[in-house]
Amino acid sequence: MEPIVSLRDVERRYARGGLAVAALGGVSLDVAPGEFVAVVGPSGCGKSTLLNLVSGVDRADAGTLRVAGLDLGRASERERTELRRRRLGIVFQAFHLVANLTAEENVALPLALDGRRDPERVRALLARVGLAERARHRPGELSGGEQQRVALARALVHRPALVVADEPTGNLDSENGARVLELLEELRAQEGAALLLATHDRALVARAGRVVALKDGRIVEGA
Amino acid sequence: MTPATARGGSALALPSWTAVLGAFHLRPRRALATVLGVAVGVAAVLATALASRAAVASMTDDVEALAGAARLEVTQPGGVPLEHLARLAPLAGELVIAPVVEGTALVAGSGELVRILGVDTLGTGEARFAGEIDARLGERFLRREGVLLARPAAAKLGLAVGRRLALIVQSRRVELELLALFDPPRAASAWERVLVADVALAQELLGRGEHVDRLTLAPRAGVPFDEAATIARVQALLPEGARVAPASERRADGERFVRSLTFNLTALAGVSVLVAIVLVATTLATAVVERRAVIALLRSLGASQGQLGAAVLAESAAIGLAGGLLGVVLGWAGARAIAADVHGSFATLSEDVLLGAVRLEPAWIVAGLALGLGTALVAAFLPLLETWRTPPVQHLRLAGVIEGRSHPRARAGVAVALLAGAALAARQPAVNGRPLWALVSTLLLLAVGIVLARPLLDLLARVPLAFLGERFGTPLRLAQAALAAARRRAAWAASAVGVAVALAIAMTTMIASFRSSVVAWTDQTMRSDLYLRPVASADGTSAGRIGSEAVAAVTALFGPERVDPYHETFASVGGERIVLGGAPFAVAEREGGVPFLDGRPFGVVFAEARARGGVVVNEPFERRFGLGRGDRVRLTTPGGTLEREIVGVYRDFSGHLGRVVLELEDFLRVAGDEGAESVGVHLPPEADVEAERARLRAALAGRFELEVLDAREVRAEVLRVFERTFAVTSALQGISALVAALAVVLVLTALVRERERELAVVRVLGGSRAQLGLLVAGQAFLLGLAGAGIGLGVGLAAGTVLVAVVNVQSFGWSLDLTVPASVLWSAAAVVPACLVAGWIPAWLSLRLQPQEALREPD
Repeated sequence: MEPIVSLRDVERRYARGGLAVAALGGVSLDVAPGEFVAVVGPSGCGKSTLLNLVSGVDRADAGTLRVAGLDLGRASERERTELRRRRLGIVFQAFHLVANLTAEENVALPLALDGRRDPERVRALLARVGLAERARHRPGELSGGEQQRVALARALVHRPALVVADEPTGNLDSENGARVLELLEELRAQEGAALLLATHDRALVARAGRVVALKDGRIVEGA
Repeated sequence: MTPATARGGSALALPSWTAVLGAFHLRPRRALATVLGVAVGVAAVLATALASRAAVASMTDDVEALAGAARLEVTQPGGVPLEHLARLAPLAGELVIAPVVEGTALVAGSGELVRILGVDTLGTGEARFAGEIDARLGERFLRREGVLLARPAAAKLGLAVGRRLALIVQSRRVELELLALFDPPRAASAWERVLVADVALAQELLGRGEHVDRLTLAPRAGVPFDEAATIARVQALLPEGARVAPASERRADGERFVRSLTFNLTALAGVSVLVAIVLVATTLATAVVERRAVIALLRSLGASQGQLGAAVLAESAAIGLAGGLLGVVLGWAGARAIAADVHGSFATLSEDVLLGAVRLEPAWIVAGLALGLGTALVAAFLPLLETWRTPPVQHLRLAGVIEGRSHPRARAGVAVALLAGAALAARQPAVNGRPLWALVSTLLLLAVGIVLARPLLDLLARVPLAFLGERFGTPLRLAQAALAAARRRAAWAASAVGVAVALAIAMTTMIASFRSSVVAWTDQTMRSDLYLRPVASADGTSAGRIGSEAVAAVTALFGPERVDPYHETFASVGGERIVLGGAPFAVAEREGGVPFLDGRPFGVVFAEARARGGVVVNEPFERRFGLGRGDRVRLTTPGGTLEREIVGVYRDFSGHLGRVVLELEDFLRVAGDEGAESVGVHLPPEADVEAERARLRAALAGRFELEVLDAREVRAEVLRVFERTFAVTSALQGISALVAALAVVLVLTALVRERERELAVVRVLGGSRAQLGLLVAGQAFLLGLAGAGIGLGVGLAAGTVLVAVVNVQSFGWSLDLTVPASVLWSAAAVVPACLVAGWIPAWLSLRLQPQEALREPD
């Protein structure tokens, strides 16, 4: 079976203070459909850079990178946008809900951007994350844990093949973090999506099918 | 407070200052645009004020330069009879008494206007020109053989001493020898277009008969001079109607001439300042919101609201001072541009004179800086609120910033109260002839627009967009959400647009009303088939009048029943100067077409005037003196005092001084015949106008220099003058629109910056660049829509105030309210203009790097 994510010798460098700094240096990694991969490592090791490359919001300087069959090195801006819109779900550490949209509008956003509507799916997902009663509330009226649950529903509403999550419990207390973690794992399993997750959270790492450790922009374990 | 904590307090001010002032170097383009907005507002006010002052100063310099050593002047409505010289003979030992005649002439061929100044060089010891005239020339000067000319004017006209100068004066061509040149006291002065003649020659040229325009009184050397006592003594020797006053008082006429215009133009320019205030307010408030995290951190670290407020005020002050300084420079340049453009309105002033009078004195620099500073400090109110509402960092919600509710009911209540205030203010009378309360009314109406901006934006943010489908509707829905989230600042931006649109619509309404009223009035009153007027200069200013021989020639050709000469001079009512007109009422009764305010046909009114020996007055006269139909008016005329009954009040847009029109014979008896201002010819219905015009021209050829226009040409001329008068208002509208566009660009840019995380989220979730662009364009569209809505409502109301109150109080003119369809286009044009203004922020949104915007600390 073709992997949903395939990286070969991917490099990414940034210019910092006039010097080229290698955020990723020759990373190769495959993620199978439905697989749960946790990426771990110290701050600045390249976790977020890896996720940004996989999400198609950043471009590699070298190597090949295929996500859901699309060669991101050669893909046009439009193809990368379509990839994110239809095949990827993304969860951020800081939730990043649109402040003046209601919870259900936030969940429906990926569908709406693709010109689609599916109110039943939106309601069902909100119910599954325990927020059916708060569908009309805006982010400012929700707790951090509730906001991240809305973000989970948003990441899955369009039935993505891959969920990319960057420290999804990083801004939550342990209780809320555990709740979000359970939901993420449960929903992912139900939807059959692969999960590529960057985290420091040991509880999350323990649930992962595979753990990839990064250090100084290179995979040191679990490739 | 202990010294230690006091020191701690001042130390804390340093980081907050640094953080807040960071906006200047962090966002230099925005800071520059804000400074520019203030500068444009300040420049508009300063340019208007400086140009108006220049006009007054030029006229004042003019008066003072031509008055010479004279301290007092004797004047009389219609001219001072020469016999007054004999009356003043007892004072000859202590005063030099000199007659002066002044008028205009046209240099044949060049179309240049010159001022003829008739002075008595020998008889009264007029010493100013003595140096130029030797004994031989002096004799010729006195024999009325020639004139003196200022050296710059001679150079401009290419004349040398001994050459003959051809002039058109009082509709006749005359040739005078240039006897000598003189140097004006300074380079750009009133003397530049002055032609000096002996007083007797000037009287003859200008048809003054036995009158002169004034007597100047100067104290003889070594004789003590007490102004008040001398005035009393001179007045005692003169009959009723003659008036003695300080020579400098004549400038008051000039000041009155531009006062109303200055006030109204400065008020208009003030709108630019209002828009600039909104611009600075929105920009600074946005800057505060952008730096909310820093401010929140400072608050957590102990910065007081006072310290943060001081930082905001310091930033405002810096913007205000920079904008004020730039505004002073731009205003000075603008004033020179206006002076260069309008010098034609002051026929005898050269462009150089007017430009030279645009003086940037230190007081004006201070005023410009103060205006810039004041603008920015008033504008600091909104950002101050934003700063004070920023909680410590611990309470900042991670979800982002949503501004408070707009309290639509409370705002509706405030709006109703403001509307009531505006209506009340519009009903108040003028203050010293200035429509101050009308201005207050207009400001209150603008405030209504500003108050209603937030509920209006909220309404627009709730308009269902489902019909657009998800793909297009979603970015617009997000635009609605973004605007609603930043409703406070968005409302200010919409207000800025609204104020600019309101100004445009109010002015369009006023000008359209004025234009349609003038067109209707012209059509009604200018019913003559042919018009004669003195030859005009290149810019349309007529020189002199139509002499009695020319009028007689026209009368001989067409018959008295078809010729309608109009004469004019000055008279006074209760000591106030008015225009006294004279026209043949028999012709007016039959052909006149004068529109009377009470709706009675002109034939009826003039028949009554003839039967009862009455007069008709114009609307500005009625409003100025409160005298109307049935009242009696006591007039001080050149020929003495007379009292007449007013039999009708007619609509008149040809001046705002107030006019009383007598039966022509009556007029000629009291004012003499110094020539007609214009002569109309009513042809029989079957006449061939062109053939008659040719016949008239042939009869005048070689004898009189007159222009013969047909009715269409006269109407076109009236409208040409009308359009030129309103050119400045168009420029001011443009300035306000520019400042409003800056406000939209800045606010949208700031919204993009502020919401860049949300935009990045949309991008990461699969939003295309086109959708992002549509989102920002949607915000611009909604801002434009709100601005157009506010502008349309407020503009129409303010336009009504301008038409019904400001014009009436400023000029005494009642206009028919006309709302042209173009106001809808003006309002509608705002939406695409806002879309254009949104292009820069939209471009910024497309450059956005989502991974940078969404980066979290590891």
